[in-house]
Amino acid sequence: MACSVSGAWKWSDAMSLLELQKISKHFGGLQVVSNLSFSVEPGEILSLIGPNGAGKSTVLNLITGLYQPDEGNIQFNNQSLLGREIHQITRLGIARTFQNLRLFLNMSVIENVMSAAYSRTHANLFEIILRTPSFRREEERIRQMAEEKLAFFGERLKGYRLDQPAYSLSYANRRRLEIARAMMTEPKLLLLDEPAAGMNPNESLEVTELIGQLRDEAGLTIILIEHDMTVVGGISDRVIALDHGVKIAEGTFDQVATDENVVEAYLGRREPGK
Amino acid sequence: MSKDKIGKDEWVASYQQRSTAGSEGWRGTLARITTLLPTWAWFALIIAIGVAIPLLTSNNFAIRVAGNIALMAILAMGLNLVVGYAGLLDLGFIAFYGIGGYIYAYLSSDFTGIHLPTLVTLVIVIVIGALFGLLLGSPSLRLFGDYLAIVTLGFGQIFVQLMTSLTRVNIPGQERPVNLTGGPNGIVNLDSFSIFGFTASTVTDYYYVLLVFMVIILLVVYHLNNSRLGRAWRSLREDELAADAMGMPTRRLKLLAFALGAAIAGLSGALFASWQGAVFPGNFDIALLINVYAIIVLGGLGSLPGVILGSIVMVAIPEVLRNVELAGLLFYLLIIVTLIATLKPRWRSAALFVAVIVFGLILKPILTTISPESFTTLEATGSGFVNLVRGWLAIPIDARAVGNLAFLALVLIILLVTRLKDSRVQFIALIPTLYLLSFVWETRLSQEPSVTRLLFVGVLLIVLMIYRPNGLLGQRRVEVV
Amino acid sequence: MDTFLAQLPQQIINGLTLGAVYALIALGYSMVYGVLQLLNFAHGDVYMIGAFIGYGVMVALIPDGAPLIAPVFIIILMLLLAMLGCGLLGVAIEQFAYRPLRNSPRLAPLISALGVSFFLQNAVQLTLTAEFRNYQTELLIPPGAGFDFGDTRLPMTRALVIVVTIILMIVLQYLVRRTKLGKAMRAVAIDREAAAMMGVDVDRVIVATFFIGSALAGAAGVLTGVVFTRVWHFMGFTAGLKGFTAAVVGGIGNIPGAMLGGFLLGLTESFAVGFISPTYRDAIAFIVLVIVLLVRPRGLLGARIPQKV
Repeated sequence: MACSVSGAWKWSDAMSLLELQKISKHFGGLQVVSNLSFSVEPGEILSLIGPNGAGKSTVLNLITGLYQPDEGNIQFNNQSLLGREIHQITRLGIARTFQNLRLFLNMSVIENVMSAAYSRTHANLFEIILRTPSFRREEERIRQMAEEKLAFFGERLKGYRLDQPAYSLSYANRRRLEIARAMMTEPKLLLLDEPAAGMNPNESLEVTELIGQLRDEAGLTIILIEHDMTVVGGISDRVIALDHGVKIAEGTFDQVATDENVVEAYLGRREPGK
Repeated sequence: MSKDKIGKDEWVASYQQRSTAGSEGWRGTLARITTLLPTWAWFALIIAIGVAIPLLTSNNFAIRVAGNIALMAILAMGLNLVVGYAGLLDLGFIAFYGIGGYIYAYLSSDFTGIHLPTLVTLVIVIVIGALFGLLLGSPSLRLFGDYLAIVTLGFGQIFVQLMTSLTRVNIPGQERPVNLTGGPNGIVNLDSFSIFGFTASTVTDYYYVLLVFMVIILLVVYHLNNSRLGRAWRSLREDELAADAMGMPTRRLKLLAFALGAAIAGLSGALFASWQGAVFPGNFDIALLINVYAIIVLGGLGSLPGVILGSIVMVAIPEVLRNVELAGLLFYLLIIVTLIATLKPRWRSAALFVAVIVFGLILKPILTTISPESFTTLEATGSGFVNLVRGWLAIPIDARAVGNLAFLALVLIILLVTRLKDSRVQFIALIPTLYLLSFVWETRLSQEPSVTRLLFVGVLLIVLMIYRPNGLLGQRRVEVV
Repeated sequence: MDTFLAQLPQQIINGLTLGAVYALIALGYSMVYGVLQLLNFAHGDVYMIGAFIGYGVMVALIPDGAPLIAPVFIIILMLLLAMLGCGLLGVAIEQFAYRPLRNSPRLAPLISALGVSFFLQNAVQLTLTAEFRNYQTELLIPPGAGFDFGDTRLPMTRALVIVVTIILMIVLQYLVRRTKLGKAMRAVAIDREAAAMMGVDVDRVIVATFFIGSALAGAAGVLTGVVFTRVWHFMGFTAGLKGFTAAVVGGIGNIPGAMLGGFLLGLTESFAVGFISPTYRDAIAFIVLVIVLLVRPRGLLGARIPQKV
C-alpha cells in the first residue's frame, strides 16, 4: 500500500460508499438526468454505459460537484455532497479523470502529479517562505509519493520522463498521467471518464488490467464510463445502462448487455416483420 | 535536427534542450543561459552586481536609475504573482502601491504628527496592503474573470481621485474641515528610511535599501514558486477546473495571490515614499500601471528572471534615451536590426537600405526644385550621423504640421505593408515607408520625447503580444483554446 | 425636500443626457464582448477620436465663426463622418491588434488592447497636443434654444443628444432583431463554432460588430462635444471606464443591458452630482458597479454562461 502523506481515513461500515438518490438535472429545457438512483459498494467496479448524450458525464459532474442536482441527494460515506464545492468533494475522497483530458500541459509530468497533493499537505505561508525543515520534509514526501503513483504504470512514466512537460507525452501516456494525478489526491472513489478512448486493443487491455490493479492494490472503488465493451466486460462487477438520463438496466455485464432496452437504446428497435 | 533517432530514449530525453534551443539562435541562447547556473549562483550574481554598482560609479543619476530598477522589480514581482501566477487581470494594482505610500506618509511625517519607526511602519503597510487586497479581491473574485479587470480599474481610478480631492472633509467633532490627504500637493517631508540605527540619506543609501528589499522579495517569491502554493497557482493558471477537481481551492488561492501581490505593492509604495520623501496622487497614475504591465509582459508572465530583465529594459532604456541624439541613434539601430532580422534573404535588407538612401537622394532635389521656398533645414544636433540624416531628408517649412500628417500616413502605410503578401511589392513599399519613418522621427517623434516614449510602450505591448506572447525569455507554451 | 423635487426634473434631464452617452459607449463594449469575449480597452479612445473627428468637421465647416452650410447639416455631417471614421478605426484595430491573437491565451488580447489604448491617446497627443479643444456649439445651436417645462429647462443640445441616441438605439435594435446580420451576431455570441458550422462567416460578423460598436462610440464622442464642448486626448479614459461600467452593470454581452446600464449610471451620477457633491462623481460610478455586481454578479440582465466539461 502506498505511503500516505496525511492522516487516516474514516470508514463507515455497512453502508454504500456512494449513493445517488433520485437525482434530476436539466439544462434550459433539456432534462439531462431524470430520477436517477443507484449506489456503489466499497471495492466494486461499476460501469456506466449508454449511447452518447445519455447523461453519463453529467452524472460524473454531478457527483464531483461541477453541477448541483435540481432534485435528489448524493451521499458519500454518509455525508451529503449537495452544496459542496468541487475541491471540497475531492477532499472528501472522490477523484476523477476527464473525458477530453485536462492535464496541466505546460507543467512537467512529476509536477502534474505533485500539484494534486495540495489538499493532503499542510505547509503554510510562513513555512514556505522560510523554507523550514518541516516544509522540506513535506516536499520530499510529496515528491516520493508522486514517483510512487507514477511507478504504478511501470516503466513508461519514469526517469527522464518525469521532468518533461506534459504536452510532450503521447496520448496514451497522457491518459495514464491523468489517472496518476487523480490518485495523488488519495481518493476512496475514483471516477474514470472514458479512460480507454482512442486506444488500440493492446492499450485497452492494459487499461482493463490497470483498473483491476487500482481496485486490488490501491483499494479504490471505481466508477467507469466507457464505450469500449471489452473493457467494460473485462473488469466490471456491475453495470448500469443509461439512456436520455434514465436508468434502463442494471446488473452484471452479461445481464445488461443482453437486456432488450439496452440493445434498443444502442441499436434502435427492430422493425416488426424484419 | 536529427530525424533518425526519433522515439529513442536519448532523442526524447534531449527534448527539453531542443525546445529551448529553438530555431532562432539568440532566443535559445537566452533561454539556455537561465539554466546555465544553479539558482543560488544567480542570486549571488545579482547581489554581487547590485552591490558593485555604486562602487563602480559615483554618478548619482546612474545610481538613481539603478534604484528605480530595483523598485520597479519589486512592484513587478507583486504584479507577477497576481497576473502571472494566478492569472488575474488586476488593473488597479497601482492603488495598492499608493496605499502603501500614503500609509507611510501618515505614519512617518508631520502631517499627522505620528513618527513610527520605519520597521513598524513597513509591517503595518504590509498587513494593511494584504487586507485591502482581500477586501477588493473577495467580492471581485466571485465575478467572471474579466469583470475583475473593470472593478480593479475603477478602484485604481477612485483611489487617485480620493487622494486628490479629500482635502476638505467634514468630520463630526471638528469645527473646520479636515485635510485628509494633502490633495494634489500630496504629503511632504516624510521621515527617512531608518532601521536598526541606520538612516538612509543619500541616493546610494536608498539604493542599497531597495536592493536589499528586492533580493528579499525575490527570495520570498522564489520560495513561494517552489512549493505546493506555486504548483497550485500554476495549475490554476493552466486549467482552473482541473485544479479544482484535484482538490485545490481555487478561489482561496486566487485571493491569496491577490492579497500577497497587494502586500508587496504596498511595501514598495512605502519604500518609494521614504525615498522620494513625499507622496503625490500624481505618482500613481495609469502610465505607471502600463509600465509595470509592460515589465511583466516583456519578461514573460510568471518568470522571475524575466521580471529583472523587464525592469532593466523598461527603466534603464527610457532613461538612457533622454539624450535625444542617443535616442535617435538607437532608433535607427532598432530599425536596421529589425529589418535585418525579419527580411530574408539577408542581402535584401542591404538592398533596401541602399534603395531608401537613393530614394531620398533623388526625392529631395526634385522637391526643392519644384518649390524651393517650401523647404528648410532642421537645426544641427551634436551627432554627426543625425545631422547627416537631417540633411538627407527634405524638410518642409511647416515641419510640425507636415510631420503630423506624415505620422498618420506612416501608421497607415505600416499597417498596409504588414498586410502585403508579395514580398517584392512589400520590398518596394518599404522604401517610401522607411523614408517616411525617418521623416516623422526627425520632425516630430524626436521633438516630443515623453510622448514618443509612451507611444513606443503602447506599440511594444501590441507587438509583444502578437509575436512573443510569452515575453522575451518565455518558453513555448501550449495553450488549450 | 422642496428643492429636491424642484431640481429633480432637471437632474433627470442631465442624467438622461449623460446616460445616453454612456449607453452608446457601453453598447460597443457589450457587443464586442458578446462575440469575442474580449474587453476592448481601446474603445474609450475610439470615442475620443470620434469627438476629434467631429471637431475637425466643425472647424472645417465653420471658418471664422460663420457656418458654411446650415447648422443642422453640419451636425449631421459631424455625426456621420465620426461614425464612419470610428467604425473604420474599430475595424482596423480588430484586424491588426486582436485578430492575430484569436488563439492566444486570454490575457494577450487584453494587454494588446491596453497597448492600443495607450497608442491612440499618445498619437493624438503627439499630433494635436494635449490642449483642450472646445466645440463651438453656440454657432450651431443658439444657447438659448430649448424647451421649458415650468422651472425645468431642456436645452436643445441635450434634447439633441437624447433624440439621436434613441434613434441610434432603435436602428440597432432593428439590426440585431430583424436582419440576417443581427441574427448572425447573436449566433456568434452564443457559440462561435456552432455558428461557423451553420455557415455564418464569423470573421465578417466580428468585423461588422466592431464597426457598429465603434461607430456608436464615435457618435457618442460627437454628442459629448456638442453638450459638454471640451475634447482632449485623455477624455476617452474616464468615459470609457464609465461606459465599461455601464456595460458590466447591465450585463456584459447583453445589448438591452448596455442601454439600461448606461441610463442607470447616467442618472445615478447626475443625482450624485446634483444632490450630494460633484467631487465624487466618478466614485459614485464605481460604487454603483460594486453594489450591482455584489447583488447580481452577472449584471442586471446578464445571462449565465454554462461551462462545458
